Amino acid sequence: MVSDTNKLKEQTEEEILLELRDVEMYFGKVCALTGVNLKIRKGEIHSVIGPNGAGKTVMMNIINGLYRPQKGDIFFKGKRINRIRPYQRAKMGMARTFQKVEVFGGMTVLDNIRLGRHTHYTSGIFSGSVYAGKTRREEIKHRTFIEEEIIDLLEIESIRDHPVGMLPYGLQKRVELGRALALEPDLLILDEPLAGLNLEEVEDMARFILDVNEEKRWKVTCLLVEHDMGVVMDLSDHVFVLNFGNTIIDGTPKEVQDNPEVIKAYLGEEDLYATRR
Amino acid sequence: MSTTFLPCGDYHQTYAEDHAWFQTKFIKGKMIALFLVLFVFIPMFAGDYWISVFNMVGYTILGALGVQLLIGYCGQLTLGHGAFIAVGAYTSTLLILEFPWPEFMINLGLAYPVSIFIAGIMAGLFSVLFGLPSARVKGFYLILTTMAAQFILVDFVITQYVSQIGGRGQAFSLPPGTMKIGPWVIDNNYKVYFFMLILVILSCIIIANLVRTRVGRAWVAIRDNDISAEVMGINVIKYKLLAFFVAGFIGGITGSFWISNLAAISPEHFPWFLSLWLVGVILIGGVGSIHGAIFGSLFMVVIMEVLQLAIIPMADTYPKLLMDFLFIKEATFGLAICGFIIFEPNGMAYRWWQIKNYFNLWPFSY
Repeated sequence: MVSDTNKLKEQTEEEILLELRDVEMYFGKVCALTGVNLKIRKGEIHSVIGPNGAGKTVMMNIINGLYRPQKGDIFFKGKRINRIRPYQRAKMGMARTFQKVEVFGGMTVLDNIRLGRHTHYTSGIFSGSVYAGKTRREEIKHRTFIEEEIIDLLEIESIRDHPVGMLPYGLQKRVELGRALALEPDLLILDEPLAGLNLEEVEDMARFILDVNEEKRWKVTCLLVEHDMGVVMDLSDHVFVLNFGNTIIDGTPKEVQDNPEVIKAYLGEEDLYATRR
Repeated sequence: MSTTFLPCGDYHQTYAEDHAWFQTKFIKGKMIALFLVLFVFIPMFAGDYWISVFNMVGYTILGALGVQLLIGYCGQLTLGHGAFIAVGAYTSTLLILEFPWPEFMINLGLAYPVSIFIAGIMAGLFSVLFGLPSARVKGFYLILTTMAAQFILVDFVITQYVSQIGGRGQAFSLPPGTMKIGPWVIDNNYKVYFFMLILVILSCIIIANLVRTRVGRAWVAIRDNDISAEVMGINVIKYKLLAFFVAGFIGGITGSFWISNLAAISPEHFPWFLSLWLVGVILIGGVGSIHGAIFGSLFMVVIMEVLQLAIIPMADTYPKLLMDFLFIKEATFGLAICGFIIFEPNGMAYRWWQIKNYFNLWPFSY
């Protein structure tokens, strides 16, 4: 059993899903990222931590395509994607959630999740306007997937017909995760999925992240930006520490905790496990 | 607005049932009753005058549906929809009057139906042209670029050049008998009424189906949050332009339909006020719902007619009321919009939804 998992680890270590090579990003004369290198292997949870303003969200936006870096290369599944638009990256299998929830407030929960599957739907404007044949079959097929795989996983059955804008913050975060999962992504970028949640919701959300990462059905690679050290150290396979655009270290949680520079820059004098608990 | 709640005890067992149009027997019965009223009772009992009022309502609904699609569903503010209605009307008229149709097509009555379709395409293309700035700008700035459509197309191109084709002067008059769909000659208000009903029902069905499938969801997503829409795999510019095309297409069909009701068309039929009026209609009816376009049109047109009927008996004592009726009409329009924005910003469609839910959930409304 143990040897089996080791073997699996060795195999996955070779497969690099996403790579940033010497990425630099400037806003005017402000340097947001300097020479960042990052390798994300298939199947792992890779966390990015750093103090406020370190450039974590800029990094996510670069990976996602909302920003284009001035220098450096981004590779996704072995393909250089510097000039590829965000919607095309979504088609390649990249989904994300946002730091401040960016759900579609006027749509119902179900429609939000359906929209996440936009790239899997194929019906066009003519077939859609008569709602017959192909469109009807397709809607039912995807509805089955959404209900059985996503709504069931995230336990949001009771709110599926509610407009998302009227839901509490914790549930909106959950819907946003559901929307990203509906894309069936290979890489899931989670930008502070736990910010602003209470303890119980944090535990739920951490559970969902582990579920989608480990369950055979999903096996999603996660890129996690988070401030809650306890959760980061427990969930991650690798942790990447950023400080004002500079990489401090990229290693296992153990290495990060022992690194004196990390402690100086970010974690301060306090105990590493200073968390909400 | 979320979906309407079903009465207690009604539930679905398959997804197909949940996606169905008319979900309970009561709703089916209600719709049959509505169709009976529309197709049988109204033409039977309403006089010629009220039929012409209903035609006006239908015209406003068709125009408002296009605006609703752009503003209510795709979030692209527009104040130039009247221009695309004008493009449709003029395309259709010119095709009927000037195009050398083969004899058999005129005899079979195909000229007008074909021209309706072409008018839709033309208006759609012009709408896309003036929607191109939406790739870069949104909100108030987009209002200005769409207003340009009105001034360039109607006030300049149509008035100065298109109207001169054929040397008829300002107005194009349509000879009787040219408005012909197959063997069916549209020559009185009742026929226009049925034509209008068919077009309104078709457009409502098409838009309702679109907004619950892939394309429409993408539009609503762009309205609610364009950045996350792009991140979720939607080509934002493509879908915005598609919305402009569909809205323009409906606008073109609206204009093309309206010439069947007019003896002559001239640029004065499509002033900038028409575009503003249509936006007012959906504000009153409710933004982001098809019911909104229908209720808003009914409310605005019927209110104006009632106002006119109320003023006529007073005209003997206060002749100025009748003389200045146009201004009274515009003042009422402004008042109605102010009233709705203050007291019911969600519009009449929201009230309708609340009433329906009240009865569906009674007596356990919590």
